[in-house]
Amino acid sequence: MIEPVALKDFFITFFSAALIIMAGASYALLFAWSKVNTNPRIKIAAYFSYLVLLVAVVLLTKAANFSGYWLTLSGVMVVGYFFAPIGIWYLCVKTHAVSDTQQATLEDK
Amino acid sequence: MNAKELCEGSRANYANFITWVALDRSNLSAGRQLSVNYFIVAVILFFAQLLFGMIAATQFIFPNFLYDWLDFSVNRMVHINAMIVWMLYGFIGCVYWLLEEESGTDIVGLKLGKLAFWVLTGAVTIVVLVYLLIQTGAGKDSSLWLINEGREYIEAPRWADIGIVIVMLIFFYNVVATFSKGKWSGIAGVLTLDLVALAGLYVAGMFYMTNITHEQFWWWWVIHLWVEATWEVLVGVIMAWSLMKLLGVRRQIVTTWLYIEVALMFGSGILGLGHHYFWIGTPEYWLTIGGFFSALEPIPLVAMVVHAMYDAGSHSFKNSNHPAVAWIIAQAFGNFFGAGVWGFMHTLPQINMFTHGTQWSASHGHLAFFGAYATINIAFFYLAIQHWRGDVWMNSDTANAWRWKWALGLLNAGVVGMTVALLIAGYEQSFIERAVEGSTWGGYFSAQNHPSFQSAMVWRWFFGLMTFSGLILLIWDLLTIGKGETRKAQEIVEH
Amino acid sequence: MNETPLWASESFWKKTAIWVTAGSFLILVVLTFDSLSQTQAGGKRVPAYSVINKKIDYVYQKDLHKSMPVIGETELLFGKEYTEAEAEQLVMLGKKTTQAKNCMNCHTLLGNGAYYAPDLTKAYLDKGWVNKEMREDMMIKFLMDPEKNARTFGSNRKMPNLDITEQEAKGVVAFLKWMSSIDTNGFPYNFKTINAED
Ligand code: HEM
Ligand code: HEM
Ligand SMILES: [Fe+2]
Repeated sequence: MIEPVALKDFFITFFSAALIIMAGASYALLFAWSKVNTNPRIKIAAYFSYLVLLVAVVLLTKAANFSGYWLTLSGVMVVGYFFAPIGIWYLCVKTHAVSDTQQATLEDK
Repeated sequence: MNAKELCEGSRANYANFITWVALDRSNLSAGRQLSVNYFIVAVILFFAQLLFGMIAATQFIFPNFLYDWLDFSVNRMVHINAMIVWMLYGFIGCVYWLLEEESGTDIVGLKLGKLAFWVLTGAVTIVVLVYLLIQTGAGKDSSLWLINEGREYIEAPRWADIGIVIVMLIFFYNVVATFSKGKWSGIAGVLTLDLVALAGLYVAGMFYMTNITHEQFWWWWVIHLWVEATWEVLVGVIMAWSLMKLLGVRRQIVTTWLYIEVALMFGSGILGLGHHYFWIGTPEYWLTIGGFFSALEPIPLVAMVVHAMYDAGSHSFKNSNHPAVAWIIAQAFGNFFGAGVWGFMHTLPQINMFTHGTQWSASHGHLAFFGAYATINIAFFYLAIQHWRGDVWMNSDTANAWRWKWALGLLNAGVVGMTVALLIAGYEQSFIERAVEGSTWGGYFSAQNHPSFQSAMVWRWFFGLMTFSGLILLIWDLLTIGKGETRKAQEIVEH
Repeated sequence: MNETPLWASESFWKKTAIWVTAGSFLILVVLTFDSLSQTQAGGKRVPAYSVINKKIDYVYQKDLHKSMPVIGETELLFGKEYTEAEAEQLVMLGKKTTQAKNCMNCHTLLGNGAYYAPDLTKAYLDKGWVNKEMREDMMIKFLMDPEKNARTFGSNRKMPNLDITEQEAKGVVAFLKWMSSIDTNGFPYNFKTINAED
């Protein structure tokens, strides 16, 4: 069962939903970047993005009146969007692994 | 001037035009000559799409414009049908383009493929003429068979549906037979299965039903499972192949990522279909299924953005066709924002209850279709023209590079501007019409008459004009880019 | 780091892609069968076509946060009681007319379509038809000559004349009445019908 968003919460619903996806992407990109650039600020920015995401999930959960099993959706977003970027990064690295070594040998020559 | 002179005059003009563009078909293999035929029609239909979009947008501001002559319903139908058809033409063109190189052999059944192209193009022409000249029919089967089926996006009358299916079968034969004669690959396998699904889904939209709940149930199978599943994967295939060619990414990497994309996209998109089954009479469990799975749909899009950046970065953005790569980057972002962000903003039933069937959907529809599918097709047009010119140099410093840069800027800025204008209109509409006034007709019109809605329609018109001018510039650029270029394309090494 | 672990290998993702796709599709097929049977005309969610003989209304249920359809006593359409077969015939004519006239490219039906004209989902119950005595007549006249009977609500937007015959117009009204009885899970939210008092 759902409880539709109240009129006063329209804006916050749209805003937090958009923020979840954008903060998730920014976390993913910054996380990847922090792996190739050692500047610690990038890593901080990455985790800051995730923090924004967390806040946005809380806001959305409230605005969209999640209750009962809908709360698992909030949980899935919190956990999923934390690990998905990490997974994506390692997939990038590992799927490219051979090509990096090939490149290294090329450069050696 | 009599008809004969007119005829000769236009023939002369056409001949002049051909001399002016100075394109040499012998630069292309036989398969690719067929492919560019599809691209040419795609561009013409793209032009028609925007022309009729402009007329429809004008009618929002001046309802009497062309009233009773070319009504909103007709213009809008041509607008969205031209879009679907030009994108499909573009995709077919892309597939013919990569078919020979990917399979390592000449196309099998080329003659039949050429015939199919002309049959399809003839049918499309007739369908459009009937839309424009006959427009509507009586409430009986023959109208649905001959004039128009009256179902958004798949309005084509039934005879044309059947024709389309036959042409698709021929196209499919070309693809499968060519891979079978040459060699199969991961890309070839995904492509073939995806085409089966894409064509099969079309058939789901070919039946008349009085029960509108059933009718819309199947209608969404076509629309949603096209754009959020099979088309995405088709673009994935095209993208995988282009990244190999343009950036020199290794085959194993693009293939692995293609499988990742299929898993994530189908895993979220197939059941994400539920977000269209909230309010059409279907059972309540769709609220949950649609909500949950469409919350997952952005994940593949994020993965694609990250991976695209990774790939581009690890190849230091070195590539052989700058306009094409610029449009591919636009695709990654457009798909992410249009489908991922804009889609998620209104996909939960708690809010979709109010946004459903408002300009909100139009805002999302514009950004998503443009961002995900117009962009990749345009990228491929550049790839095609580069080879058609004889595989020439096509970097930022080609002659008149301002044209492709401005076309890129105008088209993207125009669509983003329209999207924002429609977002404001949709927000206002969901607020006043849906929430405050409980969706009565009176409520609908108070929302339409509201100053913020009205000015949003004016803004949409201006950004539409910007988009349209971007397209005109794009067409001019496609006709002239690389003309007189003597340098060969930049060499890309695979690594 | 030149070893590709299993979870990043091509073959692993190939299998995953196949299983995920097949699994999702299978679930969709099962749900499709269930949904289609639950939404058969004549079921709970989608009433039989002969519902056009009945009074249709909505009441808001606070605990469910939505309006639910209430099918009431007899309330004939065009003063005639239709058998199930006759009702289906009439609704079918109406449905085909809405398709042949391309209604969906100006209006939305069940919220899907175009946004140039009002939603038709519960249009039969709309307060815009003033009262129930005038409704049928107004609807028929409007459909047959929308330009003269324009109801633009101050917007200047007029429905074009689509050459709808009287019989077709009756079909369309029947179709709209039948459609307005479908249980749409509460969409549109808080809709006040022509029966509701202000
Ligand atoms: C490239 C991919 C996509 C394209 C081209 C696309 C396009 C569209 C279009 C054109 C519509 C309007 C349909 C109509 O005429 O009624 C629509 C509706 C919708 N889309 Fe998408 N979409 C895409 C991806 C997504 C994603 C990823 C989501 C969710 C996260 C989503 C959520 C929705 C929803 C909820 C609606 C229904 C709007 C309503 O209730 O009226 N879409 N989409
Ligand atoms: C010159 C620029 C354009 C103008 C002026 C324009 C105008 C319009 C108008 C007036 C509608 C009808 C909306 C309604 O029913 O209220 C529409 C619908 C639509 N247009 Fe465009 N359009 C333009 C460009 C595009 C582009 C570039 C795309 C995608 C590639 C696109 C895709 C669509 C789609 C998918 C719909 C249906 C949306 C829905 O039903 O939710 N349009 N457009
Ligand atoms: Fe969808």
